[in-house]
Amino acid sequence: MEYIGFLIFFGIMVVIALVMVSLNYLLGPKNPEEWKDYPYECGVPLYDENAQTTFHQGYYLLGLLLLLFDIEAAFLFPWTVVYRYLGVFGFIEMFLFVLILTYGLLYAWKKGALNWQFEMEEE
Amino acid sequence: MAEFGIALIATLVKVGVLVGVVLGVSAYLTWFERKLAGHIQARLGPNVVGPFGLLQPLADAIKLATKESIVPKGADVPVFYLAIAMALVPSLLLFSVIPFGPEFTLFGKEVKPLISDVNIGILIVFAMGSLAVYGTIFSGWASNSKYAFIGSLRKASVIIAYEVVLGFAVLGVILLAGTMSTVGIVEAQAKSGIWYILYQPVAFVLFLFCMLAESGRVPFDIQEAEAELVTGYNVEYGGMKFGAFPLAEWYLNVIALSAIAVILFFGGWSGPGIFGALSPYVWFLVKTFSLVFFVIWLHWTLPRFQAKDITEIAWKIMLPLALANLIITAVAVYFLGG
Repeated sequence: MEYIGFLIFFGIMVVIALVMVSLNYLLGPKNPEEWKDYPYECGVPLYDENAQTTFHQGYYLLGLLLLLFDIEAAFLFPWTVVYRYLGVFGFIEMFLFVLILTYGLLYAWKKGALNWQFEMEEE
Repeated sequence: MAEFGIALIATLVKVGVLVGVVLGVSAYLTWFERKLAGHIQARLGPNVVGPFGLLQPLADAIKLATKESIVPKGADVPVFYLAIAMALVPSLLLFSVIPFGPEFTLFGKEVKPLISDVNIGILIVFAMGSLAVYGTIFSGWASNSKYAFIGSLRKASVIIAYEVVLGFAVLGVILLAGTMSTVGIVEAQAKSGIWYILYQPVAFVLFLFCMLAESGRVPFDIQEAEAELVTGYNVEYGGMKFGAFPLAEWYLNVIALSAIAVILFFGGWSGPGIFGALSPYVWFLVKTFSLVFFVIWLHWTLPRFQAKDITEIAWKIMLPLALANLIITAVAVYFLGG
């Protein structure tokens, strides 16, 4: 029942979001003009018609770091809940796991993966 | 079957009350924020529409709703609309695991004042926090504008850095409580009589920073950056489509994450029963809105970090701190028995 409640809530939220999306279409005026749908560019003509091109690889590296550490955090969640029933086994296992995790962080730090990747261009 | 029907009606009533209250409160929070910002900057704030400007949120909503619907040239139209839903829905779904008070009996039935009392409540909070990234990314990508795209990438880099820190910071509290259910965490604090902020002050500070980063508040509002990116990822949206983004990000997310912080660190609804039967609700709302007030206060008094500093602070200072906090908590729980 608890998860059904969550699903019902989700359905109602989607309806609210759809209402918010369509409200302007239903209530607003409709008089399209030539320059109205022009993307924002400080009032000058666009240099490049298409903004959906490549982006800097620094963001990609940050995304990779998230994958590594967030998945490791996901492994720790179940462990924290049952920690007090595991005894000495859970205690030592966790230390080894967090030790490896910390080593990974230090390695990434040493290799410069945690640095802001965008300064290479300025040099 | 009748049992199921009653539970269904109870859930629908709870959803209705929650949505009405939350949307109403966040609409009035805009008025409160503008008034507070005005007084912080030695202005008056909104004071024309209605007494003390109290009808200003209504006027804003009517104005936003009657704007023309414009989609920028070359935009990815389905994703452009999907982004609004992806921003709004997760931030509202955060409220489904927030308990506003203890169980009570109504017409001979046990009623819990939350929508879904699941034993993975905190996990749902993280899931919804991560899903909110998609709203930002989609809106920036689909707008076909460089400003929006840069803003959305910056926001994504901030959120993914602080999502990791948030996960590790909250682990300490879950260790102490031994459960992930939001109700269970509050009950554990009420039973021991000590709020977890006393055991986990470092985790609370980390959570506060992550809360500011996730909801795009100053000093982490690098994706807005009015001076360089105008408003970042939502620059191409107009009318109510524009209104949905600050509503979701600045108001709903801040209220929900403040409530989660109260549950994790400030004992949820527990407090002296000086308001009679309503006192759990009063205490919960007082604690939550003190935190919301604190966040808005920070927003209007602090300058903004650089994008470089934000991600480097997250990875080089906060993540090691969170790991150290986790280890120390684990040792303490092991030797002192929680």
